[in-house]
Amino acid sequence: MSSIITSDHPLSVPRQKSLNALLDTLIPASSDGNMPSATDVGFELYLQTQADELLPILRKILEDIGDDFPDQTREAQQDIIRHFSATNGEVFQAVLTRVYDCYYQNDAVRRKIGVVAGPLFPQGNTLEPGDLSLLDPVIAHSDQHEYRKPD
Amino acid sequence: MSEDIVDILIVGAGASGAAFAWSMADTRMRIVCLDQGDWTNPADYPSNATNWESQSFGPYHIDPNVRGLDTDYPVNNEESDVTVVNFNGVGGSTILYGAHFPRLHPSDFRVNTLDGVADDWPLSYDTLDPYFALNDRVMGVSGLAGDPMYPPKQPPLPPLPMGLVGETVARGFNKLGWHWWPSDSAIISQPYEGRDKCLNLGPCLSGCAQGGKSSTDITYWPEAIRRGVELRTRCRVKEITLRDDGFADGVVYFDADGNECFQRAEVVVMACNGVGTPRILLNSKSENYPDGLANSSGMVGRNLMFHPCGFAQGIFEERLDSHKGPAACCILSKQFYETDLERGFVRGYNMQVTRGSGPLTTAMTGYLSGTIPWGEGHQEAFAKRFDHVASVGIICEDLPEAHNTVTLDPELTDSDGIPAPKITYRYSKNSLDMLSHGMDRAEEALRAAGASEVVRSAPLAQSGWHLLGTARMGNDPETSVVNSWGRSHDVKNLFIIDGSIFVTSGAVNPTSTIQALSLYIADNMKKNLTSLFD
Repeated sequence: MSSIITSDHPLSVPRQKSLNALLDTLIPASSDGNMPSATDVGFELYLQTQADELLPILRKILEDIGDDFPDQTREAQQDIIRHFSATNGEVFQAVLTRVYDCYYQNDAVRRKIGVVAGPLFPQGNTLEPGDLSLLDPVIAHSDQHEYRKPD
Repeated sequence: MSEDIVDILIVGAGASGAAFAWSMADTRMRIVCLDQGDWTNPADYPSNATNWESQSFGPYHIDPNVRGLDTDYPVNNEESDVTVVNFNGVGGSTILYGAHFPRLHPSDFRVNTLDGVADDWPLSYDTLDPYFALNDRVMGVSGLAGDPMYPPKQPPLPPLPMGLVGETVARGFNKLGWHWWPSDSAIISQPYEGRDKCLNLGPCLSGCAQGGKSSTDITYWPEAIRRGVELRTRCRVKEITLRDDGFADGVVYFDADGNECFQRAEVVVMACNGVGTPRILLNSKSENYPDGLANSSGMVGRNLMFHPCGFAQGIFEERLDSHKGPAACCILSKQFYETDLERGFVRGYNMQVTRGSGPLTTAMTGYLSGTIPWGEGHQEAFAKRFDHVASVGIICEDLPEAHNTVTLDPELTDSDGIPAPKITYRYSKNSLDMLSHGMDRAEEALRAAGASEVVRSAPLAQSGWHLLGTARMGNDPETSVVNSWGRSHDVKNLFIIDGSIFVTSGAVNPTSTIQALSLYIADNMKKNLTSLFD
């Protein structure tokens, strides 16, 4: 699914390239290669399901950062996005929220960070019961912790 | 206009309305409850979907102004330090609450006697004690007996797992010699009354798909309905009308299609919380009550109390599985609950240990707080924090002040044209001093527990869960709205049973006490049916 550029995409080919570069700049892969980049988590599919709300804000940021964005150095790309966030804070936050939403609901990402893939229910989680003997000091000093009498 | 008359008409199907209806069903009278919202379907809760986290920023948002469902009403918070959060529907805010379920303390009912501030309640902890216990049994409360900070009590279910978060912070409390105890939680730790136990899903604040969280749509309501109570949804009450003799006649409401309807009743019971109840009373103006119904004291809508609060989040080297388990229910400390004037403020606060968030919330709050950047360093900063946090919430007692109010907004209305509530609320110096002290102690506890870094957030604006005090109870009709068992001083067949009748707020989540009060009032009504209006 990574970096797919298709002819039926709602964005032009140059904008698709800019989108991929934008995604990779917002969430790059981890330095050890364990965690994928945001370009590798199926953002195209996510975009299809959220097109009505997501496309207008994507078009805004992609127009602003320009079609030569993919050709910039990583440092320059970060500077361009920082400038956009400073001047278009609301749009940037909306885009970032959607990118994070897509990234952190990806099954592979969730498995790597120890979160249930897919819906939480009905699998749920196992939780350490906890050691209630830790209460021994509280109980031993219960006279110091006694509730305040009302009269 | 219908001539159909019911014996008891309850307005609101949330925490208090459900408990009251369940109790009054004993009488076999004709009882009807109207709620402006719908039933929620647990299969629709976010935990059933992959995007469970982002739904809590939209259709399951805690702020009705953001959620914007047609069953919600807007709230004008522009002149308030705190934003009202709630849920409107069967179960009320128990649908989205954290289910942290401590009782008020015995001292909370005597703050004037003990500390010379505010007023004493016209009843005591001992009066409510059997109703607390009854409510714990019906709701299904998990906890551990023996907390020295309370008179003896026995939760019906064993405590929820503390998890690594609870163990870690408990060790910090122990190093400091402070009190702590597993929280009483309205979440079932074992199968109970046909419900299966909590699965530790995590995001309780967007509804419980498992049904392990004790919201009143799955506890009180099914049994109340089986025993004959009629619950009508999508019925939004506009006002209470009066008979010529000064008694309440019934209510005017809008049905799901926006038709204006009237329901007559022998008794009207308000259960709409500390914002919804004064809103309807203030909107029920008449010749005899030009300032709103039951408001001869001028106290309707006054003395609004939230609980000023903040959170300190500790970052730990070791993994704590922070996103697993009920987010708001773990352990608590009452070390600073009572007054010590050397601290520079009167009354005190609760320390509520909470777990962490899911990955999306972690990433977004990290971005907003500047602790997890986008771009270079994102992966490393995220890995350092996600599942490595434990938090201590500071929940401060909020003393009543007449200038903190709920009034009717002159312009803003809901979809039926009913005036929206306007909140006017400012933190007091006492509250801010208390919160500052609490945040220091929260950081101290987290450092003692081994946190390498502590991030503080206080005061929290979007925290107005606890809506209290706006139709206070008391023995003096000149300074209170209802008497010691919830009956209006002015209108003798009008009762109020929700958080608006609190005299003071205590420093704990109020739902347990709200429900105990509603059961107590129902019991008093049942015992005094023949002389109810004397």
